[in-house]
Amino acid sequence: MSTTILAVILLSSIGLIAGIAIFVANRVLPKEDPSLEKANEIKERLPGADCGACGHPGCFAYAQAVAKSADVLEKSPCRILAKDEEASQALGEFLGIDLSNSGPGVKAVVHCTGDSPRIGTYNGVQSCAAAIQVGGGEKECPYACVGYGDCVDVCPVNAIGIDSEKGIAAVDWDLCIGCGMCVAVCPRGLIELIPADTPQYLGCNYLSSKDIAGRKKCSVGCIHCRICVRSSEQGEVEWNETKDLPQFSTVLAVDAIEKCPRKIILKTTAHLAETDAPPQERS
Amino acid sequence: MSELIAIFFSMALVNNMVLGKFLGLCPFFGVSKKTSSAFSMGIAVLLVMLVASAVTWPLFHLLLVPYGFEFMRTVIFILVIASLVQIIEMSIKRTNMTLYNALGIYLPLITTNCAVLGITFINIDQQYGFAQSMVAALGAGVGFTLVLLIMSGIRERLDLADVPKVFKGAPVAFLIAGLLGLAFLAFGGMVG
Repeated sequence: MSTTILAVILLSSIGLIAGIAIFVANRVLPKEDPSLEKANEIKERLPGADCGACGHPGCFAYAQAVAKSADVLEKSPCRILAKDEEASQALGEFLGIDLSNSGPGVKAVVHCTGDSPRIGTYNGVQSCAAAIQVGGGEKECPYACVGYGDCVDVCPVNAIGIDSEKGIAAVDWDLCIGCGMCVAVCPRGLIELIPADTPQYLGCNYLSSKDIAGRKKCSVGCIHCRICVRSSEQGEVEWNETKDLPQFSTVLAVDAIEKCPRKIILKTTAHLAETDAPPQERS
Repeated sequence: MSELIAIFFSMALVNNMVLGKFLGLCPFFGVSKKTSSAFSMGIAVLLVMLVASAVTWPLFHLLLVPYGFEFMRTVIFILVIASLVQIIEMSIKRTNMTLYNALGIYLPLITTNCAVLGITFINIDQQYGFAQSMVAALGAGVGFTLVLLIMSGIRERLDLADVPKVFKGAPVAFLIAGLLGLAFLAFGGMVG
Protein backbone atom coordinates (compact mmCIF):
# COMPACT_ATOMS: atom_id res chain seq x y z
CA MET A 1 0.00 0.00 0.00
CA SER A 2 2.63 2.46 1.06
CA THR A 3 4.70 1.51 -2.01
CA THR A 4 1.80 2.41 -4.27
CA ILE A 5 1.33 5.80 -2.64
CA LEU A 6 5.06 6.45 -2.68
CA ALA A 7 5.21 5.53 -6.36
CA VAL A 8 2.45 8.01 -7.13
CA ILE A 9 4.19 10.69 -5.10
CA LEU A 10 7.53 9.94 -6.76
CA LEU A 11 6.09 10.16 -10.26
CA SER A 12 4.15 13.35 -9.58
CA SER A 13 7.11 15.03 -7.95
CA ILE A 14 9.37 14.15 -10.88
CA GLY A 15 6.69 15.48 -13.21
CA LEU A 16 6.49 18.65 -11.13
CA ILE A 17 10.27 19.08 -11.17
CA ALA A 18 10.33 18.60 -14.95
CA GLY A 19 7.52 21.13 -15.34
CA ILE A 20 9.31 23.66 -13.16
CA ALA A 21 12.53 23.06 -15.10
CA ILE A 22 10.78 23.84 -18.39
CA PHE A 23 9.17 26.91 -16.86
CA VAL A 24 12.50 28.16 -15.54
CA ALA A 25 14.19 27.44 -18.86
CA ASN A 26 11.46 29.40 -20.62
CA ARG A 27 12.12 32.37 -18.33
CA VAL A 28 15.91 32.21 -18.16
CA LEU A 29 16.61 31.62 -21.84
CA PRO A 30 16.80 34.70 -24.07
CA LYS A 31 13.61 35.52 -25.91
CA GLU A 32 13.20 34.37 -29.50
CA ASP A 33 15.19 36.44 -31.93
CA PRO A 34 13.18 39.69 -32.33
CA SER A 35 13.59 39.43 -36.11
CA LEU A 36 11.56 36.21 -35.94
CA GLU A 37 8.58 38.08 -34.57
CA LYS A 38 8.83 40.51 -37.45
CA ALA A 39 9.30 37.61 -39.86
CA ASN A 40 6.13 35.99 -38.59
CA GLU A 41 4.20 39.17 -39.24
CA ILE A 42 5.69 39.52 -42.71
CA LYS A 43 4.85 35.91 -43.48
CA GLU A 44 1.20 36.59 -42.76
CA ARG A 45 1.26 39.19 -45.52
CA LEU A 46 2.92 36.88 -48.06
CA PRO A 47 0.99 34.59 -50.42
CA GLY A 48 1.98 31.47 -48.49
CA ALA A 49 2.24 29.26 -51.58
CA ASP A 50 5.79 28.16 -50.61
CA CYS A 51 6.58 28.01 -54.33
CA GLY A 52 10.26 28.80 -53.80
CA ALA A 53 10.47 30.99 -56.90
CA CYS A 54 12.11 33.81 -54.95
CA GLY A 55 15.06 31.50 -54.31
CA HIS A 56 14.26 30.94 -50.65
CA PRO A 57 13.13 27.56 -49.34
CA GLY A 58 9.65 28.83 -48.54
CA CYS A 59 7.58 31.83 -47.57
CA PHE A 60 8.85 31.83 -43.98
CA ALA A 61 12.49 31.79 -45.07
CA TYR A 62 11.68 34.65 -47.45
CA ALA A 63 9.99 36.54 -44.62
CA GLN A 64 13.09 36.00 -42.47
CA ALA A 65 15.28 37.42 -45.24
CA VAL A 66 12.96 40.39 -45.75
CA ALA A 67 12.88 41.04 -42.00
CA LYS A 68 16.66 41.30 -42.02
CA SER A 69 16.82 43.64 -45.00
CA ALA A 70 14.03 45.02 -47.16
CA ASP A 71 16.40 45.03 -50.17
CA VAL A 72 15.52 41.37 -50.63
CA LEU A 73 12.13 42.46 -51.94
CA GLU A 74 13.86 44.11 -54.87
CA LYS A 75 16.68 41.65 -55.41
CA SER A 76 14.50 38.55 -55.42
CA PRO A 77 10.91 39.78 -55.69
CA CYS A 78 7.95 37.61 -54.81
CA ARG A 79 6.22 37.21 -58.15
CA ILE A 80 2.88 36.24 -56.71
CA LEU A 81 2.87 39.34 -54.56
CA ALA A 82 3.73 41.47 -57.58
CA LYS A 83 0.35 40.55 -59.12
CA ASP A 84 -1.69 41.19 -56.01
CA GLU A 85 -2.00 44.95 -55.66
CA GLU A 86 -3.79 44.81 -52.31
CA ALA A 87 -1.45 42.34 -50.69
CA SER A 88 1.67 44.19 -51.77
CA GLN A 89 0.22 47.44 -50.49
CA ALA A 90 -0.48 45.80 -47.14
CA LEU A 91 3.09 44.53 -46.94
CA GLY A 92 4.39 47.93 -48.05
CA GLU A 93 2.41 49.62 -45.29
CA PHE A 94 3.76 47.21 -42.71
CA LEU A 95 7.34 47.76 -43.80
CA GLY A 96 6.86 51.47 -44.41
CA ILE A 97 7.96 51.39 -48.07
CA ASP A 98 6.14 51.86 -51.35
CA LEU A 99 5.54 48.57 -53.12
CA SER A 100 2.51 49.52 -55.16
CA ASN A 101 4.37 50.14 -58.43
CA SER A 102 4.93 46.54 -59.35
CA GLY A 103 3.99 46.47 -63.05
CA PRO A 104 2.02 43.83 -64.93
CA GLY A 105 4.23 40.94 -63.80
CA VAL A 106 5.16 37.99 -65.95
CA LYS A 107 3.58 34.76 -67.08
CA ALA A 108 4.99 31.60 -68.59
CA VAL A 109 4.58 30.41 -72.17
CA VAL A 110 5.74 27.18 -73.80
CA HIS A 111 7.52 27.83 -77.06
CA CYS A 112 6.36 24.69 -78.81
CA THR A 113 3.24 23.84 -80.78
CA GLY A 114 4.02 20.16 -81.00
CA ASP A 115 3.63 17.95 -84.03
CA SER A 116 7.27 16.91 -84.30
CA PRO A 117 7.20 13.25 -85.44
CA ARG A 118 8.21 10.63 -82.91
CA ILE A 119 11.29 8.67 -83.93
CA GLY A 120 11.09 6.06 -81.21
CA THR A 121 9.37 4.95 -78.05
CA TYR A 122 10.77 5.74 -74.63
CA ASN A 123 9.95 3.38 -71.78
CA GLY A 124 12.08 4.64 -68.91
CA VAL A 125 11.50 6.90 -65.94
CA GLN A 126 8.60 9.23 -66.68
CA SER A 127 10.54 12.47 -66.56
CA CYS A 128 11.68 14.89 -69.25
CA ALA A 129 15.17 15.16 -67.78
CA ALA A 130 15.60 11.38 -68.02
CA ALA A 131 13.88 11.03 -71.40
CA ILE A 132 16.22 13.39 -73.26
CA GLN A 133 19.21 11.37 -72.01
CA VAL A 134 18.17 8.50 -74.27
CA GLY A 135 19.03 9.36 -77.85
CA GLY A 136 17.93 12.96 -77.38
CA GLY A 137 14.32 12.08 -76.64
CA GLU A 138 11.50 10.57 -78.62
CA LYS A 139 10.81 13.48 -80.92
CA GLU A 140 12.76 14.35 -84.00
CA CYS A 141 13.05 18.06 -83.28
CA PRO A 142 15.76 18.68 -80.70
CA TYR A 143 13.81 21.70 -79.43
CA ALA A 144 10.41 20.06 -79.10
CA CYS A 145 8.62 19.74 -75.77
CA VAL A 146 9.48 16.33 -74.34
CA GLY A 147 6.05 15.97 -72.79
CA TYR A 148 6.76 14.02 -69.61
CA GLY A 149 5.61 16.86 -67.42
CA ASP A 150 8.57 17.89 -65.25
CA CYS A 151 7.03 21.37 -65.36
CA VAL A 152 3.63 20.01 -64.32
CA ASP A 153 5.16 18.47 -61.22
CA VAL A 154 6.75 21.69 -59.98
CA CYS A 155 3.92 24.12 -60.75
CA PRO A 156 2.62 25.34 -57.37
CA VAL A 157 -0.80 26.34 -58.76
CA ASN A 158 -1.41 23.51 -61.28
CA ALA A 159 -1.40 25.94 -64.17
CA ILE A 160 0.43 23.60 -66.58
CA GLY A 161 -0.97 20.49 -68.13
CA ILE A 162 0.18 18.08 -70.82
CA ASP A 163 -1.86 18.13 -74.00
CA SER A 164 -2.19 14.37 -74.43
CA GLU A 165 -2.99 14.62 -78.13
CA LYS A 166 0.10 16.60 -79.09
CA GLY A 167 2.24 15.49 -76.17
CA ILE A 168 3.30 19.02 -75.27
CA ALA A 169 2.94 21.19 -72.20
CA ALA A 170 0.42 24.03 -72.19
CA VAL A 171 0.18 26.87 -69.67
CA ASP A 172 -3.17 28.04 -68.39
CA TRP A 173 -2.51 31.75 -68.79
CA ASP A 174 -5.16 32.76 -66.25
CA LEU A 175 -3.91 30.48 -63.49
CA CYS A 176 -0.19 31.13 -64.07
CA ILE A 177 1.41 33.22 -61.33
CA GLY A 178 4.70 33.66 -63.16
CA CYS A 179 6.79 32.05 -60.45
CA GLY A 180 9.24 30.59 -62.97
CA MET A 181 9.60 27.16 -61.42
CA CYS A 182 8.75 25.50 -64.76
CA VAL A 183 11.37 27.63 -66.54
CA ALA A 184 13.99 26.26 -64.19
CA VAL A 185 13.15 22.57 -64.65
CA CYS A 186 12.48 22.42 -68.40
CA PRO A 187 15.52 20.57 -69.80
CA ARG A 188 14.90 22.04 -73.25
CA GLY A 189 14.60 25.63 -72.02
CA LEU A 190 11.31 25.96 -73.89
CA ILE A 191 9.40 27.83 -71.24
CA GLU A 192 9.89 31.56 -70.96
CA LEU A 193 8.47 34.25 -68.72
CA ILE A 194 7.03 37.09 -70.79
CA PRO A 195 5.34 40.30 -69.60
CA ALA A 196 1.74 39.52 -68.64
CA ASP A 197 0.37 42.11 -71.07
CA THR A 198 1.93 40.53 -74.16
CA PRO A 199 -0.91 39.47 -76.45
CA GLN A 200 0.96 36.84 -78.50
CA TYR A 201 3.96 34.55 -78.46
CA LEU A 202 5.76 32.23 -80.87
CA GLY A 203 4.92 28.57 -80.56
CA CYS A 204 8.38 27.47 -81.63
CA ASN A 205 11.87 27.67 -80.30
CA TYR A 206 13.65 26.35 -83.37
CA LEU A 207 16.98 28.06 -83.31
CA SER A 208 19.29 27.62 -86.27
CA SER A 209 18.04 29.27 -89.46
CA LYS A 210 20.78 27.67 -91.51
CA ASP A 211 19.53 24.21 -90.62
CA ILE A 212 16.82 24.07 -93.27
CA ALA A 213 16.16 20.47 -92.24
CA GLY A 214 14.25 22.04 -89.37
CA ARG A 215 11.34 22.50 -91.73
CA LYS A 216 11.16 18.79 -92.26
CA LYS A 217 11.38 17.97 -88.59
CA CYS A 218 8.07 19.52 -87.75
CA SER A 219 5.11 20.71 -89.77
CA VAL A 220 4.75 23.83 -87.63
CA GLY A 221 8.38 24.82 -86.99
CA CYS A 222 9.39 28.43 -87.60
CA ILE A 223 10.99 28.69 -91.04
CA HIS A 224 12.50 32.12 -90.34
CA CYS A 225 10.69 33.72 -93.29
CA ARG A 226 10.30 36.99 -91.35
CA ILE A 227 6.94 37.65 -92.93
CA CYS A 228 5.69 38.58 -89.47
CA VAL A 229 8.21 41.44 -89.34
CA ARG A 230 7.39 42.61 -92.87
CA SER A 231 3.63 42.49 -92.34
CA SER A 232 3.66 44.52 -89.17
CA GLU A 233 3.70 48.12 -90.36
CA GLN A 234 3.84 49.77 -86.97
CA GLY A 235 6.72 47.59 -85.90
CA GLU A 236 4.71 45.34 -83.60
CA VAL A 237 7.11 42.54 -84.44
CA GLU A 238 10.87 42.84 -84.52
CA TRP A 239 13.48 40.28 -85.36
CA ASN A 240 15.61 39.06 -82.48
CA GLU A 241 18.96 38.55 -84.22
CA THR A 242 20.61 36.66 -81.38
CA LYS A 243 17.82 34.10 -81.04
CA ASP A 244 16.93 34.35 -84.75
CA LEU A 245 13.26 34.39 -83.88
CA PRO A 246 10.60 37.12 -83.91
CA GLN A 247 10.19 39.33 -80.88
CA PHE A 248 6.75 40.67 -79.98
CA SER A 249 5.72 43.88 -78.28
CA THR A 250 2.63 44.50 -76.18
CA VAL A 251 0.59 45.46 -79.29
CA LEU A 252 -1.56 42.79 -80.88
CA ALA A 253 0.02 41.97 -84.27
CA VAL A 254 -3.12 40.96 -86.19
CA ASP A 255 -1.49 40.85 -89.65
CA ALA A 256 1.47 38.87 -88.46
CA ILE A 257 -0.75 36.25 -86.83
CA GLU A 258 -2.75 35.91 -90.04
CA LYS A 259 0.14 35.84 -92.46
CA CYS A 260 2.39 33.44 -90.60
CA PRO A 261 2.63 30.48 -93.02
CA ARG A 262 2.99 28.04 -90.12
CA LYS A 263 0.26 29.61 -87.96
CA ILE A 264 2.47 29.43 -84.90
CA ILE A 265 2.03 32.94 -83.55
CA LEU A 266 -0.30 32.09 -80.72
CA LYS A 267 -2.53 34.46 -78.80
CA THR A 268 -2.47 34.81 -75.06
CA THR A 269 -5.56 35.96 -73.18
CA ALA A 270 -3.97 39.39 -72.73
CA HIS A 271 -5.22 40.36 -76.23
CA LEU A 272 -8.85 40.28 -75.08
CA ALA A 273 -8.53 43.43 -73.06
CA GLU A 274 -7.08 45.35 -76.00
CA THR A 275 -9.49 44.40 -78.77
CA ASP A 276 -12.67 43.68 -76.84
CA ALA A 277 -13.03 40.71 -79.14
CA PRO A 278 -15.29 37.87 -78.05
CA PRO A 279 -13.38 35.23 -76.10
CA GLN A 280 -11.60 32.92 -78.47
CA GLU A 281 -10.43 29.45 -77.90
CA ARG A 282 -6.90 29.60 -76.62
CA SER A 283 -4.48 27.51 -78.61
CA MET B 1 39.97 1.12 -22.31
CA SER B 2 39.72 -1.86 -24.63
CA GLU B 3 36.44 -2.72 -22.94
CA LEU B 4 35.04 0.70 -23.83
CA ILE B 5 36.12 0.26 -27.44
CA ALA B 6 34.44 -3.14 -27.47
CA ILE B 7 31.23 -1.60 -26.13
CA PHE B 8 31.35 1.14 -28.76
CA PHE B 9 31.65 -1.25 -31.69
CA SER B 10 29.20 -3.69 -30.17
CA MET B 11 26.55 -0.98 -29.96
CA ALA B 12 27.36 0.58 -33.32
CA LEU B 13 27.60 -2.54 -35.47
CA VAL B 14 26.83 -5.88 -33.82
CA ASN B 15 23.87 -4.83 -31.73
CA ASN B 16 22.91 -2.00 -34.04
CA MET B 17 19.84 -0.16 -32.77
CA VAL B 18 17.86 -0.45 -35.99
CA LEU B 19 19.07 -3.65 -37.62
CA GLY B 20 20.05 -5.62 -34.52
CA LYS B 21 17.47 -4.60 -31.94
CA PHE B 22 14.73 -3.29 -34.26
CA LEU B 23 14.38 -0.06 -32.32
CA GLY B 24 13.82 3.33 -33.93
CA LEU B 25 12.28 1.88 -37.07
CA CYS B 26 9.96 4.86 -37.37
CA PRO B 27 12.65 7.46 -38.23
CA PHE B 28 14.53 4.72 -40.10
CA PHE B 29 11.72 4.59 -42.67
CA GLY B 30 10.34 8.07 -42.20
CA VAL B 31 13.42 10.26 -42.49
CA SER B 32 15.55 8.17 -44.85
CA LYS B 33 14.41 9.64 -48.15
CA LYS B 34 17.10 12.30 -48.39
CA THR B 35 20.72 11.94 -47.26
CA SER B 36 20.93 15.46 -45.84
CA SER B 37 17.86 15.09 -43.60
CA ALA B 38 18.89 11.55 -42.65
CA PHE B 39 22.24 12.86 -41.42
CA SER B 40 20.61 15.67 -39.41
CA MET B 41 18.19 13.18 -37.89
CA GLY B 42 21.03 10.81 -37.00
CA ILE B 43 23.02 13.54 -35.30
CA ALA B 44 19.94 14.70 -33.39
CA VAL B 45 19.29 11.15 -32.17
CA LEU B 46 22.96 10.78 -31.19
CA LEU B 47 22.76 13.98 -29.16
CA VAL B 48 19.56 13.04 -27.38
CA MET B 49 20.87 9.52 -26.65
CA LEU B 50 23.95 10.99 -24.98
CA VAL B 51 21.96 13.45 -22.89
CA ALA B 52 19.31 10.89 -21.97
CA SER B 53 21.91 8.36 -20.85
CA ALA B 54 23.77 10.99 -18.85
CA VAL B 55 20.59 11.89 -16.96
CA THR B 56 18.82 8.56 -16.54
CA TRP B 57 21.84 6.62 -15.30
CA PRO B 58 22.31 8.66 -12.10
CA LEU B 59 18.54 8.93 -11.71
CA PHE B 60 18.22 5.16 -11.72
CA HIS B 61 21.21 4.32 -9.57
CA LEU B 62 20.94 7.16 -7.07
CA LEU B 63 17.17 7.50 -6.71
CA LEU B 64 15.27 4.45 -7.91
CA VAL B 65 17.59 1.64 -6.74
CA PRO B 66 18.18 2.79 -3.12
CA TYR B 67 14.45 3.18 -2.48
CA GLY B 68 13.37 0.05 -4.35
CA PHE B 69 11.52 1.72 -7.20
CA GLU B 70 13.19 -0.07 -10.12
CA PHE B 71 9.78 -1.04 -11.50
CA MET B 72 8.99 2.62 -12.14
CA ARG B 73 11.85 3.11 -14.58
CA THR B 74 9.83 3.03 -17.82
CA VAL B 75 7.36 5.75 -16.92
CA ILE B 76 9.93 7.93 -15.16
CA PHE B 77 12.45 7.65 -17.99
CA ILE B 78 9.83 8.64 -20.56
CA LEU B 79 8.85 11.65 -18.48
CA VAL B 80 12.42 12.79 -17.90
CA ILE B 81 13.57 12.28 -21.50
CA ALA B 82 10.52 14.05 -22.92
CA SER B 83 10.99 17.15 -20.78
CA LEU B 84 14.74 17.14 -21.43
CA VAL B 85 14.26 17.11 -25.20
CA GLN B 86 11.75 19.91 -24.78
CA ILE B 87 14.29 22.06 -22.97
CA ILE B 88 17.04 21.24 -25.48
CA GLU B 89 14.80 22.19 -28.37
CA MET B 90 13.79 25.41 -26.69
CA SER B 91 17.35 26.45 -25.96
CA ILE B 92 18.56 25.65 -29.48
CA LYS B 93 15.68 27.59 -31.00
CA ARG B 94 16.40 30.68 -28.95
CA THR B 95 20.17 30.74 -29.10
CA ASN B 96 21.19 29.44 -32.51
CA MET B 97 18.74 29.65 -35.38
CA THR B 98 21.13 28.04 -37.87
CA LEU B 99 21.56 24.99 -35.68
CA TYR B 100 17.81 24.91 -35.11
CA ASN B 101 17.09 24.83 -38.84
CA ALA B 102 19.55 21.96 -39.26
CA LEU B 103 18.78 19.87 -36.17
CA GLY B 104 15.99 21.38 -34.12
CA ILE B 105 13.12 20.52 -36.40
CA TYR B 106 13.85 16.83 -35.82
CA LEU B 107 14.00 17.06 -32.05
CA PRO B 108 10.22 16.91 -31.41
CA LEU B 109 10.17 13.70 -33.45
CA ILE B 110 12.61 12.02 -31.09
CA THR B 111 10.93 13.03 -27.83
CA THR B 112 9.57 9.58 -27.13
CA ASN B 113 11.60 7.61 -29.65
CA CYS B 114 12.07 3.97 -28.67
CA ALA B 115 15.73 3.96 -29.72
CA VAL B 116 16.44 6.69 -27.16
CA LEU B 117 14.47 4.94 -24.44
CA GLY B 118 16.01 1.63 -25.51
CA ILE B 119 19.62 2.73 -25.00
CA THR B 120 18.86 3.89 -21.45
CA PHE B 121 17.37 0.48 -20.63
CA ILE B 122 20.24 -1.37 -22.28
CA ASN B 123 22.67 0.63 -20.12
CA ILE B 124 20.89 -0.59 -17.01
CA ASP B 125 20.22 -4.17 -18.11
CA GLN B 126 23.87 -4.63 -19.09
CA GLN B 127 24.87 -3.18 -15.70
CA TYR B 128 27.15 -0.63 -17.32
CA GLY B 129 28.89 2.00 -15.22
CA PHE B 130 28.47 5.69 -16.05
CA ALA B 131 31.42 5.91 -18.47
CA GLN B 132 30.42 2.66 -20.13
CA SER B 133 26.84 3.95 -20.50
CA MET B 134 28.05 7.09 -22.24
CA VAL B 135 30.22 5.11 -24.64
CA ALA B 136 27.32 2.75 -25.32
CA ALA B 137 25.06 5.72 -26.09
CA LEU B 138 27.71 7.19 -28.39
CA GLY B 139 28.10 3.87 -30.19
CA ALA B 140 24.35 3.41 -30.55
CA GLY B 141 23.97 6.94 -31.94
CA VAL B 142 26.81 6.47 -34.42
CA GLY B 143 25.36 3.13 -35.49
CA PHE B 144 21.93 4.68 -35.93
CA THR B 145 23.35 7.54 -38.04
CA LEU B 146 25.34 5.06 -40.13
CA VAL B 147 22.34 2.90 -40.91
CA LEU B 148 20.17 5.93 -41.67
CA LEU B 149 22.83 7.23 -44.08
CA ILE B 150 23.17 3.86 -45.82
CA MET B 151 19.41 3.58 -46.14
CA SER B 152 18.94 7.10 -47.49
CA GLY B 153 21.77 6.61 -50.00
CA ILE B 154 20.11 3.46 -51.29
CA ARG B 155 16.68 5.07 -51.42
CA GLU B 156 17.97 8.10 -53.31
CA ARG B 157 19.37 5.78 -55.96
CA LEU B 158 16.21 3.73 -55.88
CA ASP B 159 14.26 6.75 -57.10
CA LEU B 160 16.00 6.40 -60.45
CA ALA B 161 15.57 2.64 -60.66
CA ASP B 162 12.72 0.97 -62.48
CA VAL B 163 10.97 -0.66 -59.52
CA PRO B 164 7.92 -2.81 -60.34
CA LYS B 165 4.76 -0.90 -59.61
CA VAL B 166 3.62 -3.12 -56.73
CA PHE B 167 6.95 -2.65 -54.93
CA LYS B 168 7.17 1.13 -55.29
CA GLY B 169 7.60 3.17 -52.11
CA ALA B 170 7.35 1.42 -48.76
CA PRO B 171 7.42 -2.26 -49.90
CA VAL B 172 10.80 -1.98 -51.55
CA ALA B 173 12.08 0.00 -48.55
CA PHE B 174 11.08 -2.90 -46.28
CA LEU B 175 12.81 -5.37 -48.59
CA ILE B 176 15.98 -3.31 -48.48
CA ALA B 177 15.77 -3.02 -44.69
CA GLY B 178 15.63 -6.81 -44.54
CA LEU B 179 18.65 -7.19 -46.79
CA LEU B 180 20.56 -4.59 -44.76
CA GLY B 181 19.67 -6.54 -41.61
CA LEU B 182 21.09 -9.68 -43.18
CA ALA B 183 24.27 -7.79 -44.08
CA PHE B 184 24.67 -6.51 -40.54
CA LEU B 185 24.16 -10.05 -39.24
CA ALA B 186 27.67 -10.72 -40.52
CA PHE B 187 29.03 -8.56 -37.69
CA GLY B 188 27.61 -11.01 -35.17
CA GLY B 189 30.21 -12.64 -32.95
CA MET B 190 32.88 -10.01 -33.66
CA VAL B 191 32.61 -8.31 -30.30
CA GLY B 192 30.43 -8.85 -27.24
